[in-house]
Amino acid sequence: MLQVTNVSKTFNTPGGQVHALKDVTLTVKTGEFVSIIGKSGSGKSTLLSILGALDTPSDGTITVDDTSIEKLSGHAQTKYRGHKIGFVFQQYNLIPNLTAIENVMLALEFGGYPASSRYDRAAKLLESVGLNEEEQKRRPTRLSGGQQQRVSIARALANDPAYILADEPTGNLDSATGKKVFDLLHDLSRNQNTTVIVVTHDLEIAGKTDRTFTLIDGKITTK
Amino acid sequence: MNVLTRGVKNALRSPLRSGAIVLMFAISIALILSMLVARSSVQAKINEVKATAGTNITIRPAGVMGGMGGGDPLTAEQLATIKSTANVSSTTLTLTDQLGTDDTELESSQELGAFGQRQMRFESSGTTESTTAPEGTATTEQSDRPAPTPRITVTGTNDVNSVSTDGSDLNITSGATIDASGNGLVALVGSTLATKNSLELGDTFTAYGSTVTVSGIYTTDNAFQDSGIIMPLTTLQTLTEQADVVNTVIATVDSSDNVAATVTSLKTALGDDADITSEAESAASSVESLESISSLALAGVIGASIAGAAIVLLAMVMVVRERRREIGVMKAVGGTDGKVVGQFTIEGLTLTLIGTVIGIALGVVVSGPMTTSLVSSQNSTTSTTAAETGRNGRPAGRPGGFAGGVEQINTNLTQVTASLTPQVFIAALGITFLIAIIGSAVPAWLTARVRPAEVLRTE
Repeated sequence: MLQVTNVSKTFNTPGGQVHALKDVTLTVKTGEFVSIIGKSGSGKSTLLSILGALDTPSDGTITVDDTSIEKLSGHAQTKYRGHKIGFVFQQYNLIPNLTAIENVMLALEFGGYPASSRYDRAAKLLESVGLNEEEQKRRPTRLSGGQQQRVSIARALANDPAYILADEPTGNLDSATGKKVFDLLHDLSRNQNTTVIVVTHDLEIAGKTDRTFTLIDGKITTK
Repeated sequence: MNVLTRGVKNALRSPLRSGAIVLMFAISIALILSMLVARSSVQAKINEVKATAGTNITIRPAGVMGGMGGGDPLTAEQLATIKSTANVSSTTLTLTDQLGTDDTELESSQELGAFGQRQMRFESSGTTESTTAPEGTATTEQSDRPAPTPRITVTGTNDVNSVSTDGSDLNITSGATIDASGNGLVALVGSTLATKNSLELGDTFTAYGSTVTVSGIYTTDNAFQDSGIIMPLTTLQTLTEQADVVNTVIATVDSSDNVAATVTSLKTALGDDADITSEAESAASSVESLESISSLALAGVIGASIAGAAIVLLAMVMVVRERRREIGVMKAVGGTDGKVVGQFTIEGLTLTLIGTVIGIALGVVVSGPMTTSLVSSQNSTTSTTAAETGRNGRPAGRPGGFAGGVEQINTNLTQVTASLTPQVFIAALGITFLIAIIGSAVPAWLTARVRPAEVLRTE
């Protein structure tokens, strides 16, 4: 279970302090598929970064399976990300110099997966998201947007994470491809008991999730 | 694929850029190596020249240049001062004189030639007549001057080997050496003079009205020396009625480290009455050009090292800045600082390693010609200067018949052999290693500072 309690985040900018999150409190149960919606600048991505231990809150606590992640050291937070969290980004963020399968193997290496079984594991994951053997050996620039997002999802799943944090996963995809990616994430939640938190501004997608949180100016308004 | 292979692969991901970085770095390394080789080789030559310069100091009466010039000979009192000067371990005393036709029946074996005749044009005896000019001004004219007769140089010394041109023992081809510390009427005769006058061991000849016995025949590599006579110092002083005086003292100093100080002491003690020079001083002066090359090479090493470090540093900083997103993503998906920094460090080391191999190979090829070029260009400048000063006489330190050593030094200055010694190789590797560390550590530090959230927030 993931529990966010009274979390605030303030950024110091040249123009003064910006309060990205204000006293946010929410709970997500294991295996749930939830969405966070809100306008641009409402604090969605900031909340996702804090949930994934990419950033620390200015105030409040985030408890993941009884562990307060904001109190973890930098190294422990890295380990937390490697083992518990899988990120899916709007821009895919694949390493351009590595092939699709090497991108997935990179996450396996960071997660401490044995070198001897990384290739097979990565191939199986890519196959499960719909990339054939030939496509697996291509570099990201030679894959379509949908294929790159599938590689991104396979990378996120590499270390069997308990949580998938997806930031606008369909934002750069056409509606048909976006639907396929969304269905893939939905299947993960349903079939593998993986908790999926999706940040989106697409109300249609949000409507298909178990619950939706709405962020307005850094505050949760609906649950 | 692990950190190592990923680092190596990433280093070569952009062949053009990596090639340019490697090439620039290789040129820096080649320059560093070449300058180190030049410095090392030149320094070895400087040490060699200084070591062979010896510890002798030559003291002559002021104004005397070989057998020419004027001035008073060095007196017994001055000799005592020289001998008592600190660090002077021994002295070789020499008095030279010339036997004319009135002094001996021997014929000189030297052919005067045009040069010799010009030297002696004022010294021939002849009649002169005075005439009175119409205006009443008296003038003197020289007439009926006979052909000049070359004289025979006789050297009185307390060490016959001092006559040797190369510092080695005198080569006695017949008979035995003389007791130079004695006062016997004995002499060593130069081989060409002996041949000219059919002198053999045990023969006698007249000098200054006394009968002198030939104790031995000697030869040197010098035609002038081989036409001379060597006698015990005291004998020549007695025969020429110049008791206790000499015109050359070679003072040997106990250590090369004390030569400069001893020269200073002697100059202070003897003042303007004597001209004092040392081979070490001359050698030091001669190697000034090499020392400037050594300094230039050191500046080159420092400059090339800074350039090499800057190339690697700027290249890696550029790489890290360009790939901040990639670094952020790696950290986001679980990459520890150690693994991410390790990858970028290996990228930097890969480029520096390739650059080092190419640079050292290039350096080995160009270091020889570069050293030769540096030495020859510097010495050609020095030679021009030396030629200008040479109008005033012989090279400093060896005026007169004992010249040769310093000329030899000057000749050898251009003969610097560039050699890549293990010490130089290790020094070059050490500098390269240092550059590689700096070139990798700074990007590593920059990499570690990248916060994944900041990178991903910029989407």
